[in-house]
Amino acid sequence: MNTDNCITLENVAIGYNGKVLLKDINLSIKAGEFIVLFGPNGSGKTTLFKTILRIIPPIQGAIIYGDGQPTRFGYVPQRQYLDEIYPFMAEEVVLMGTFGQVRPFCPTPKTNRVWIEQCLKDVGMLDMRKKLFSELSGGQKQRILIARALATRPNILLLDEPITGVDILAQKMIMELISQLHKKHHLTIMMVTHEIYNIPKWIDKIIWIQDNKVLIGTTVEMLSPLKTDETLHREPV
Amino acid sequence: MEQLLEMLSPHFLLRNALYAGLIVGFVCPQVGIFFVLRRMILLGIALPQVSNAGITFAFLLCTVGWHFFPHIESEKAMALTGSVVFTLIAIFALAILERKRKGFTENRIGFTYALAGAASILFVSWNPYGQTEVLSLLRGEIVSIPDIYLWSMFAIYGTIFICLVGFHRNFVLVSYDTDMAITLGKRVNLWDILLYLIIGIVISFGVMTVGPLVIFGFLLIPAITARMVTRGILPFCIVSSAIGAAASFIGFYISYRFDLPTGPTDIAILCIILVLLYLGKILIRLKR
Repeated sequence: MNTDNCITLENVAIGYNGKVLLKDINLSIKAGEFIVLFGPNGSGKTTLFKTILRIIPPIQGAIIYGDGQPTRFGYVPQRQYLDEIYPFMAEEVVLMGTFGQVRPFCPTPKTNRVWIEQCLKDVGMLDMRKKLFSELSGGQKQRILIARALATRPNILLLDEPITGVDILAQKMIMELISQLHKKHHLTIMMVTHEIYNIPKWIDKIIWIQDNKVLIGTTVEMLSPLKTDETLHREPV
Repeated sequence: MEQLLEMLSPHFLLRNALYAGLIVGFVCPQVGIFFVLRRMILLGIALPQVSNAGITFAFLLCTVGWHFFPHIESEKAMALTGSVVFTLIAIFALAILERKRKGFTENRIGFTYALAGAASILFVSWNPYGQTEVLSLLRGEIVSIPDIYLWSMFAIYGTIFICLVGFHRNFVLVSYDTDMAITLGKRVNLWDILLYLIIGIVISFGVMTVGPLVIFGFLLIPAITARMVTRGILPFCIVSSAIGAAASFIGFYISYRFDLPTGPTDIAILCIILVLLYLGKILIRLKR
């Protein structure tokens, strides 16, 4: 096994309730890489994403974590799955990222409050901290969720459709923010998207799920017009 | 005013009922916030009814001569056991079915409510001796509460309150974003079970003390009201309990002053607070 790899999937089969959705998945993610997980709706990319996050157990095979340090995930879910009935202020949502570090019955340490301020500053949302999360725009919510993921002090940041459903300006801002965080914190980043035009050229790898197959390659390999056309128009297996 | 001073006196005859009401009013909304936030309001109607069915069943067993506890207050102890057992079975069965996504949630809860309601009435009708006590429980007439019961209630609700405060972060995280909780290494099932256990005990004890209608009211109305007027999870929790305790005290005073049943008076006060705050919120919005 390559020790530079922070996540390695070996002959993994994924799915729900014993039903296999994708099988024979073999891939590795190196520390510091920026990877996009791409595929049409219903292709299984969120299932693969959640399997990597240990939310869903793999049906078969092994997922090996580790590049010498413990794996801490910074998870950014699809914001529409978070119920707006909760009267959270933006800073309370970010504070959730520190809940893994605080024991029950202990008050929130001051260092955690300082840290979440830094995370809010990093995503440019410090002045919005007292606003209700439900009152924020789609792009602002996304930045708060990224700040929450940063608050976990992650070495891998995983984002589920972070730019879906936000306006073009917000999409650009979020992509710039993710790119900055990648460079500034040397984070390994995996981003899920189902829109091919949302994939930036400068990323390291694309994992492309199409017709129950998982393909992996560089941007040049995967997004060349010939390859794109071939993958998109291939006969279903 | 005279009645109010009398109520505040340590020698007040009905002081145990007042204290029990205050405990219920203060602690139930802390559980109720999870009913509101997890969108389980219907469960808040069904579970007190299930608890009530447990109580009536226990009374029926007592009447036919089944005594599990060799105790002076054996009827009360059996009723409490019936309430806890029925409520916990129902809440865990509903939670398992919810997790397995069998059918629709509303259908299951509706069925549970109907079954529990019908069972309660049948158990009471088969039990001519227990009718008076059970019917007074159903009406929410909180009058005679023995010292031992008040103290045990204080101990149990106190422990539950401390657990809810101490584990607040985990309960909130698991309720709001289960996936995030898993990525942070939280044992989601364990926290869910603990929360359901707390809900079951609060409802069982509460129904025994103030009846199903009052428990339903105290679980939901303070949380709904607080949700309307607060920003942030901490103010939401504090205001919920403050509304519950205030309504319990005012309700007790009015019921004592005008000789009304306490439980329904408490609920009426809760509803008045909700409507007043709602109107106040609209007025503030219009002024802006």
